[in-house]
Amino acid sequence: MMLFFLLLPPLLMFVASFSRSPWARKLLPVSSFAVLIPVALLFRLPKPYELWGRYLVADDLNTYILLLSSIVGIGVTLALLTLDRHVKISTKALYRFYRFFGLFWVGLSLSILANHMGIYWIGLEMATLSTVYMIKTNRSAAAHKEAWNYMIVGAIAISLILFGIILIYAASKPILGEQAMLFDALLIKAREIPSPFLFEMGFAIAALGMFVKMGFFPMNLWLAHIERASFYPVAALFSGILESGVMAGFFRFSRIAERVNYDHLFFFVFAYTLLTIFIVSFLIFRAKDFMRLFSLSGIEHMALIALFWVSGGSFAALLHFGAHAFLKPALFLSTGVLESTGRYHFAGALRGYAGLRGKLFWFLVGLFMLAIVSIPPSPMFFSELYGFAAMIDDAKSSHHLLAMLGAIALLLALLSVIFYRFVAIYQSMKYEGEAEPKKVYSSEVLALTIFAVGLVALLLPSSTAFLKGIG
Amino acid sequence: MVDFLIGLFLATLITALFTSRLYRLLFWYSLNSLTLGLLALVIGARLDDRAMLMTGGVTIALKALAIPYVLKVLSRRFGLSRQTPPGIKTQYAIMLVPAILVFTFYLAEPISHMVQGNANYVAISISSLFLSLLLMIEHRNVAPKIVGFLSMENALFLLGTTATRGMPMLVELGIFFDLLMAIVVINLLLYREEAEL
Repeated sequence: MMLFFLLLPPLLMFVASFSRSPWARKLLPVSSFAVLIPVALLFRLPKPYELWGRYLVADDLNTYILLLSSIVGIGVTLALLTLDRHVKISTKALYRFYRFFGLFWVGLSLSILANHMGIYWIGLEMATLSTVYMIKTNRSAAAHKEAWNYMIVGAIAISLILFGIILIYAASKPILGEQAMLFDALLIKAREIPSPFLFEMGFAIAALGMFVKMGFFPMNLWLAHIERASFYPVAALFSGILESGVMAGFFRFSRIAERVNYDHLFFFVFAYTLLTIFIVSFLIFRAKDFMRLFSLSGIEHMALIALFWVSGGSFAALLHFGAHAFLKPALFLSTGVLESTGRYHFAGALRGYAGLRGKLFWFLVGLFMLAIVSIPPSPMFFSELYGFAAMIDDAKSSHHLLAMLGAIALLLALLSVIFYRFVAIYQSMKYEGEAEPKKVYSSEVLALTIFAVGLVALLLPSSTAFLKGIG
Repeated sequence: MVDFLIGLFLATLITALFTSRLYRLLFWYSLNSLTLGLLALVIGARLDDRAMLMTGGVTIALKALAIPYVLKVLSRRFGLSRQTPPGIKTQYAIMLVPAILVFTFYLAEPISHMVQGNANYVAISISSLFLSLLLMIEHRNVAPKIVGFLSMENALFLLGTTATRGMPMLVELGIFFDLLMAIVVINLLLYREEAEL
């Protein structure tokens, strides 16, 4: 029953997309808000809570991720109310967007709640295929090309994940039978897996698929170009829900891999994420439009989350994860207004707002821009502090303290490049260029306010205590 | 029998790589799926695994018959080009295919000792995955890329059947469902191709 209520808002969205009544569209944000009721109930229930046998099980980690993605879903539904006022889109295409958004949301909810590797993959594949059409809603040639690109590279990434899952299943089946598909069973028996090499090979291939899906090296620009070519809510869904779903899987797989061979896991993730951040920081420095800038910054954040997680800084990773899930969709949804005067105009993007709505809009976007580069009291500031502390603690227990300190110094240098670029862009947005009038709608400000409240809520003592308890 | 079918599976995929006509490509994909379905039926009968027998039947009905037919109908409806010359010249592809096979047998060597059943099956599954990727890369036209994507699914299915002696039924049904959804999405994407190809 609980599962039905969790999936009801996206299913209603899917059904409503077949109706041509304007009321159906206006009621969708209300029905999306309703998802918070079962999610809140889920927080109060004893964990682990079985939603569908052992296939879908809610624990603290995925309930938290589900809450984040639900809030993003609500924000995007609100922003979709005024999408047709910022971009050229036919009513038919807009309703089809809702239809695939509904399927996407169902797929990701299943992935996030999955305790079964197969269901995790099926949900992810469902979300990937739905996204293809959402990209294509934009009738431009670039969007059409990127939809095919996404279809092909996304399919390769998803196939790599399935390939990894099959190898992990093959490695564990001799001791677990069909239960080798269950994350919790694998976690308990991880040290007894008869062929750890096969498991690690499977994990590495699955992780590679997940990294490609999140735009890590070498696919950084692939994701940025796709997000640039699509309508901005697609990018918000990518960063707020899809990446959360993929990362939820990474958290689960890496917890098992940690027990099989921690050193191998750490070296693999450490080298991969460092390489990704190295490349992304320079790409951010050269970014000339908001969509690519935010997209590349999202890749940097996901790489940091993965790094903190495998370094033992689960609190830092989850705090960073929450902040990213609110900040990035908020900024992507703002792009529709920020780019009112053109795609490649940073200067004056935060000027020209009149009235209470306008002022609240530029104030919130300004705050988000600064919060994303970890200016205190942004949750990202604290998560990075805790994350680097976890990395040093981890190195102290090994023989690699000096190498770790060197890596942290390199990371700080790369992060300072990103910091410099974002602050320069913020100054250009606020203090340069002409103050041309821009139109902001109430639903957009409401969406941004929800994200801002979520961001503040992350810093409440009860929230931090909850995140520390997940570990 | 299993060895023969796996050999046929690989042979049909390699032949598809050198095909320059769309309908012929769909025919080789269909044959590739048929051998996969028969393989599942043979292994399922040997292990007395009803789930695998069912999977084999669904594979033949869906992948060997329905999907190639739907793709043929779609290609006619949208007027897709029936000439699909590979981007890599045949003389280079002839060298590339054995190189991929040797490389994957080498790559799978440490894994193959740990897998139940015949070790070479895993290597062939991995090489099929790479060959499917090659099929996607070597063509500029959309249709062979779609066939490459579907062949990749077949390669994964082969790995699941041979390395693990069958994935759980739930997963296999989910994969079939996703495959059907992929066809729907491809259909939607092709609306634009009509004007371009």
